[in-house]
Amino acid sequence: MVSHAALLRASGQNDNREYALDGLMDGATITGVPRGETLVALVDAALGRDEAALVPARAAVRASLGAAALIDATAVIGAFNGITRIADATGIPLEPAKAEQAADFFAALGIGRFREAKV
Amino acid sequence: MIRDNLATAQAQAWERLAAPGTWWTGAERIAIAAETRHAGNCALCTQRAAALSPLAVAGAHDRLAGSLPEAAIEAIHRIRTDSGRLGETWFRRLREAGMSEEAYVELVSVVAVVTAIDTFRHAAGLQQLPLPTPIDGAPARYRPRNARPGLCWVATLAPEDVTLDDPDLYREHPGPRERYGANIQRALSLVPHSMMHWWDLLEAMYQTSREMRDFACEYRAVTHAQIELLAARVSALNRCEY
Repeated sequence: MVSHAALLRASGQNDNREYALDGLMDGATITGVPRGETLVALVDAALGRDEAALVPARAAVRASLGAAALIDATAVIGAFNGITRIADATGIPLEPAKAEQAADFFAALGIGRFREAKV
Repeated sequence: MIRDNLATAQAQAWERLAAPGTWWTGAERIAIAAETRHAGNCALCTQRAAALSPLAVAGAHDRLAGSLPEAAIEAIHRIRTDSGRLGETWFRRLREAGMSEEAYVELVSVVAVVTAIDTFRHAAGLQQLPLPTPIDGAPARYRPRNARPGLCWVATLAPEDVTLDDPDLYREHPGPRERYGANIQRALSLVPHSMMHWWDLLEAMYQTSREMRDFACEYRAVTHAQIELLAARVSALNRCEY
């Protein structure tokens, strides 16, 4: 979460745009990423295994961004549904430099609660 | 239409599941893959995932028939269904139950590969792939001699500690190094072939380290910002801090 929220922010800085990171956590706030709501809906439907939502979510991405984008978007969803398991199953820590750079949004978004839930 | 390098990487990753690994046989790796798929139907896992704490729900996993040890079943099911709440105490209990850290690392890589490809195909509206037929052969049982404990729950092999006996897991040759050695890249390095199995796939499904930071160029049909939005949202739903 922290690494890729930081990369999202960095990509925005490169384009002179500021994205609302709250939308990463709540899934509702408009992030400002082009077609962001359409992509978030695809993630939520795919990970929620909600077939009724997934069919229109997939169609919306295909219609707005194209068939190649649907494949690349779903590839990223798959990749991160795998790599999050590697991170959490090995207890790999965030690098101190990354944690320092993300300190502002780490607190604001309440990411610390993920750590508190571990048993 | 799946782009060529993605289709190739996924086909290779899928076939590699069936080959003898470093600590598990091909048959055992396919059993781990099958159990990864089955975990989604486990009543205990469903109850635990819904509970305030997974420790609040006792019981036995609904498992496939086979010879995988109970510690492996517990590991596969929890990693597949509730990875965001895994803690070091849980991992220590697995170790006490007889799971070696090397076998655990390889198991994690198999669960991750199956999860990634199954999730992709489901999200894209493609049929689930049948599991490949196991290939006979003995595990290589190779542990890098410079692997060290301390970074995370399992020992890791840092880029600067790689020897000529180890495979080129950080892609240093012919140079410059392509895998820079971020902590997440080191997570599976105790079993170099498991690390390479995962990262060869990940780099095709997501981006390479260099592409990830090259904001001046787009390498996919979605932009850097869209990719990172997708990655971060998946991480948030899975409660993954990293």
